[in-house]
Amino acid sequence: GKNEYDLLVIGGGSGGLACAKEAAQFGRKVAVLDYVEPSPQGTAWGIGGTCVNVGCIPKKLMHQAALLGSALKDAQHYGWNISQPVHHTWSVMAQGVQNYVKSLNWGHRVQLQEKKVKYFNIKGSFSDPHTVRGLTKAGKETVVTADNIVIATGGRPKYPMHVAGALEYGITSDDLFWLKESPGKTLPSFILYVSLECAGFLTGIGLDTTVMVRSIPLRGFDQASHVSKKKQICFTIQQQMASLVTEHMESYGTKFLKRCFPTKVEKLKSGRLQVTWKNADLDIEETDSFNTVMWAVGRAPDTKTLNLEAAGVKTNSETGKIIVDASEATSVPHIYAVGDITEGRPELTPTAIAAGKLLAQRLFGQSSELMDYDNVPTTVFTPLEYGCVGLSEEAAVQRHGSDNIEVYHAYYKPLEFTVAERDATQCYMKMVCLREREQRILGLHFIGPNAGEVIQGFALGIKCGATYPQMMKTVGIHPTCAEEVTKLHITKRSGLDATVTGC
Amino acid sequence: MAQRLALQRLLALPTRGPLASHGRAFGTSAGRRSTFNVQDGSDFQDRVVNSPKPVVVDFHAQWCGPCKILGPRLEKLVAKLDGKVLMAKVDIDDHTDLAIEYEVSAVPTVLAMKNGDVVDKFVGIKDEDQLEAFLKKLIGA
Repeated sequence: GKNEYDLLVIGGGSGGLACAKEAAQFGRKVAVLDYVEPSPQGTAWGIGGTCVNVGCIPKKLMHQAALLGSALKDAQHYGWNISQPVHHTWSVMAQGVQNYVKSLNWGHRVQLQEKKVKYFNIKGSFSDPHTVRGLTKAGKETVVTADNIVIATGGRPKYPMHVAGALEYGITSDDLFWLKESPGKTLPSFILYVSLECAGFLTGIGLDTTVMVRSIPLRGFDQASHVSKKKQICFTIQQQMASLVTEHMESYGTKFLKRCFPTKVEKLKSGRLQVTWKNADLDIEETDSFNTVMWAVGRAPDTKTLNLEAAGVKTNSETGKIIVDASEATSVPHIYAVGDITEGRPELTPTAIAAGKLLAQRLFGQSSELMDYDNVPTTVFTPLEYGCVGLSEEAAVQRHGSDNIEVYHAYYKPLEFTVAERDATQCYMKMVCLREREQRILGLHFIGPNAGEVIQGFALGIKCGATYPQMMKTVGIHPTCAEEVTKLHITKRSGLDATVTGC
Repeated sequence: MAQRLALQRLLALPTRGPLASHGRAFGTSAGRRSTFNVQDGSDFQDRVVNSPKPVVVDFHAQWCGPCKILGPRLEKLVAKLDGKVLMAKVDIDDHTDLAIEYEVSAVPTVLAMKNGDVVDKFVGIKDEDQLEAFLKKLIGA
């Protein structure tokens, strides 16, 4: 018989919702399934996916909370009478953040309703290539059939299962943003951008925070994204930038336990957690107690309960992610996938949204435009932010050879840091260019305040194939940090001191 | 009469949080009888749709600032009507499906319901005079 819907989207996150809403614009009959399996600690949330509920949004807001703490410290130098030390109340911040997230959940529901997209709060699994069934929370079975299906179920944080007590006593980012009370003395482990960002704002709001790193920061970044060699996200394999970011965090109070890996977590009578770890450098076992242990050891694709075998959808045997082609199609012609669930794609909201929209346009709008995953800009929101677009220095060397690239760099000091007597040692930027005649810019990397805002504009230039001479012809806005990008002239090759001063 | 004068004097002051709760103190005991929080879909069916008396339904949310002002204000006025009108409060995060079913898109949204039908509605904050007129129309109509 005929299928009930033109499009069924499994997963109401960034990619799924964008695809569903776009398809509905074309007058199609669309349904969305969304379901949040509670975390091992029992945390759950509403529609909107990882970004809205346990990712980008709460993360950036808490990062802002920490930045405001720093601003309060700086304020004294600018004449404000603020009694030090200033204290932070977790529950006030958490409630503000959680309330905003709930308003976004609501907004999505309203939008789906307005666009006439049918919403089911069920955990779906395939029974055949065109049929998905699931149980509502009340236990009622629902069956949905569709001509086209998009899988956009995203991922969930992994637990280090080989560490005793990891599952019972540890939390992940899924839980951190929904805590009603302060996490206290926290150990986010290991180094991935998630753990650095979280450790960063936790330190910023005054909590005793230690990051445990199994190996050098570089490695952690590699593990983060399982990206194929062709499509490097700029913040993988960026040893120099990762070191600067972590150096800054260390100088601001985050403790790092380098080359250590946890062996067990136990609960003490007091309720605190006793963590035991192996220190690889000293070859000894060490231990300390914490209020909270947070795991940030990577994310696993959420495919376990989908029953992909019944649909014939193939996944990557190593990562478990769904294999897709350039048109986001899986091994089954009418089944597609977008977002974090897909192999070889960045785990980012804007790319999931764009891919979802373009997919809907190709399916129902006579478009043939494919998603362009090149030169995707991104930012890590650590206390000193790191934004980038294009190739990392290492990737450029790998692709073109070190003789064919020129790296321009500079250590700079944001004007706002001067009066506040803030240390700007790690404020740094570099631009990777081709050496041949045109000198096309391959990548831009910036560490400093508002890195995301700085890089966004330059991403357009790189997309348009901007060159070094064009950048030099671009007049900077004064006084800003971003203007230093337009003035980059010292090369790594020259070996000269790269410290630049303002006027 | 004296009570109304006292209310008007209070209203002359800036309407901030403390005042809202202050105003609430006047109507709390009466309010408890005529205002209730909707527990679930069937509770809504029983106490709102099937209510013999007209019901004012206040759709609100924790994250909605204006809701925190409108709620107590409306509650106080409903209490003054001595049970002629009831007030049902619906937290849209707890009862999203119900809110969507009644086409709520922004909060606060207040519906006037009589014999199971929506006879009047407004969205956003209203002052006391506007609310009194709204309630009067519901009882009168």
